[in-house]
Amino acid sequence: MLNRRNALFLAFGIGFGFLLSRAGATSPLIISELLLFDDLRLLWVIATAVVLGGVLTWFARRRQWRARNTGQPITIQHKPFKRGLIVGAVLFGLGWAGTGVCPGTALAMLGEGKWFAAWVGAGIVVGAGIGSWLNHRLGSR
Amino acid sequence: MMDLLETLVDAFFAPLWPPVLVGALIALLAFGQRWLADQPLSCSTGFANLATSLRPGGQRDRDGDWRIVFLLGIVLGGLLAALTDGAPAWQGTAAEFGRFYSALIPDSTLGSALWWLIGGLLIGLGARLAGGCTSGHTIAGVAMGAPASILASAVFFAVAVGTAQLAAWMLGV
Repeated sequence: MLNRRNALFLAFGIGFGFLLSRAGATSPLIISELLLFDDLRLLWVIATAVVLGGVLTWFARRRQWRARNTGQPITIQHKPFKRGLIVGAVLFGLGWAGTGVCPGTALAMLGEGKWFAAWVGAGIVVGAGIGSWLNHRLGSR
Repeated sequence: MMDLLETLVDAFFAPLWPPVLVGALIALLAFGQRWLADQPLSCSTGFANLATSLRPGGQRDRDGDWRIVFLLGIVLGGLLAALTDGAPAWQGTAAEFGRFYSALIPDSTLGSALWWLIGGLLIGLGARLAGGCTSGHTIAGVAMGAPASILASAVFFAVAVGTAQLAAWMLGV
């Protein structure tokens, strides 16, 4: 259980949870301000993350930057157009707007002591289980 | 020199950091995962692994343990953030719901618990059917220029914005 990979991802998780909190993404109030266009601070967080991520991806591809673990150029993984993508995205949007929570922020909220997120987190685990089963039935991962 | 240090320390303990700074740090962290482990940011797949490992008789995916460890890390990251947000001690930061969620979520204990549970169910189910969430599709996928991630993210935001705006209008908040 305790190997280098797990230690690395524990550190990445801590960093990500900390940043989600400092971004304000762990506050349902601030999520509602984003969705109702009252305060766009989260839009700037997301836009900066995506644009800088895009620039880094562009450099990585152009300069053939190598991943440290494989020694091969960093892979650019494109998720597939899977069956259920649109339906799933619609359900996700409904749940996100309804609760002001997404999978990553539910966990960070638990760490912050926002206990209501335990209900949302439990729902996400059950929903993800059902989703995996449905994906299996739809014949795609 | 001491003034600068003091300003930086104060800035660190602020509960909210400037949006562009946090966005840039998230981009660097997400890219760091790809550089060190060749693995893009991903949250909802970890929840699927967690669901499998919790199910009686479920076969745990040993190669995917790091995904669950990552989720645990996010909880600890939230704790770290709450411990360093300038408040005297960790007080179990109460969630701020604002006028929208206060009006939307049922008042009773049972009603609100069911609301959050069903909301979470939609999030988990939707993310698995879509093949990712706001982490895997939006932050990681769109940055990599993946067409399916751009489409999924557009639908996430269009539906969430549309639903929230409609609900706010109907609730009159």
